[in-house]
Amino acid sequence: MLKVINGGIETLVEDWPGRLGYLSKGMSASGAMDNVSLGLANILVGNKPGEAGIEITGGFFEAEFTEDHVIAVSGTDMQPKLNDISIPLFESIQVNSGDKIQFSHIGKVGFRSYLAVAGGIDVPVYLGSKSTCVFGSYGGFEGRVLKAGDEVKIGEFSVDSDKVVGNKIKPDVVPEYQNEIVLRAMPGPNTSPDYVTEEGMELLFSRTSKIQHTSNRSAYRMEELPDSFYARSDGGVGGSHPSNIVDHAYAIRGTLNICGNTPILLIADGPTLGGYICPIHVINADLWKVGQGAPGRDYFKFELVTQEEAVSARHTQNDILSDRSLL
Amino acid sequence: MEKIVTAIMPGLCARVVVSEGDKVAKGQEVAVINCMKTEISVNSEYDGIVKSVVSKEWDELQVGDPMVLLTVDNNG
Repeated sequence: MLKVINGGIETLVEDWPGRLGYLSKGMSASGAMDNVSLGLANILVGNKPGEAGIEITGGFFEAEFTEDHVIAVSGTDMQPKLNDISIPLFESIQVNSGDKIQFSHIGKVGFRSYLAVAGGIDVPVYLGSKSTCVFGSYGGFEGRVLKAGDEVKIGEFSVDSDKVVGNKIKPDVVPEYQNEIVLRAMPGPNTSPDYVTEEGMELLFSRTSKIQHTSNRSAYRMEELPDSFYARSDGGVGGSHPSNIVDHAYAIRGTLNICGNTPILLIADGPTLGGYICPIHVINADLWKVGQGAPGRDYFKFELVTQEEAVSARHTQNDILSDRSLL
Repeated sequence: MEKIVTAIMPGLCARVVVSEGDKVAKGQEVAVINCMKTEISVNSEYDGIVKSVVSKEWDELQVGDPMVLLTVDNNG
């Protein structure tokens, strides 16, 4: 059991790949904002990479273990401590009943940390996933952020603890977090020449844009684009603004939605349909980088890639999320 | 001695809820940051008196930016 002392800024139970197959019902996939960090933490403690863990956004999470467990902390460095003593990231450690884990604030880079526990987080599987959809108030731990007093169950772990304690991730696999985050993306479905000018697409793939403070698990917002971005003067039957289009399904996670002149990257808990154009799509293998972008601090830049490169990047990521990443 | 209550998240200063001369207790909310379309409380880590308010509404903040300056006694 994990007894929450302080829920911090926003702490959730999330797994990967989340709740797939319900977009047509208006339900987004949710899931870990940084699936690579969650996956590596899980591998360290002997879980499957997509097992549910604790996603800590912004910091200040505190909890007490009421039983002995093997844990690993990954993601950005929030100066995690166990009983006031610093603990390493990307390494599995033994914790005992009564031990208290504490996270501080975010550092200069990165935004989310992950806590994996051998056996996983034992919350009900809802529609195929343990992930919390915080805006829908379902899944995870009672469909909400963790708060003081919550008692989170840990799953059964069948492997001998000695076999997983002390595991480390190879240094070359540990992700590097940056303030200027390059997201590889492919054009489409609403692109040039019908919806966006050639110059507009070039701008989208060349500029660096600050992540707005209004960004969250639903969407990451960027700085406005100029009117010259658009190839049309209005949205036709879709509406008066050239970003308008007849409502269509959004290819979340990863589509870039343009609402008015604001680019909005739709992610974990994002909307499943709407009436705005989507000129590019961030590849699945780079979604984890979005989760480490701090609103109001970091910047996104898009890099054009082909479908073949996107598929190759996904294979590479799948390879990383395996025992082969252990030292 | 003086202590500074700093921003705990990047974002915008939504408001500072104390004024110069106010007495604050450890754990008391002194300011609010707007980030991720939610409001995040910034609490004092000290008992003290507000010496000055540094942040104002709509200020862009980074973690560690000063928001409120306190005068605390030496045991504070």
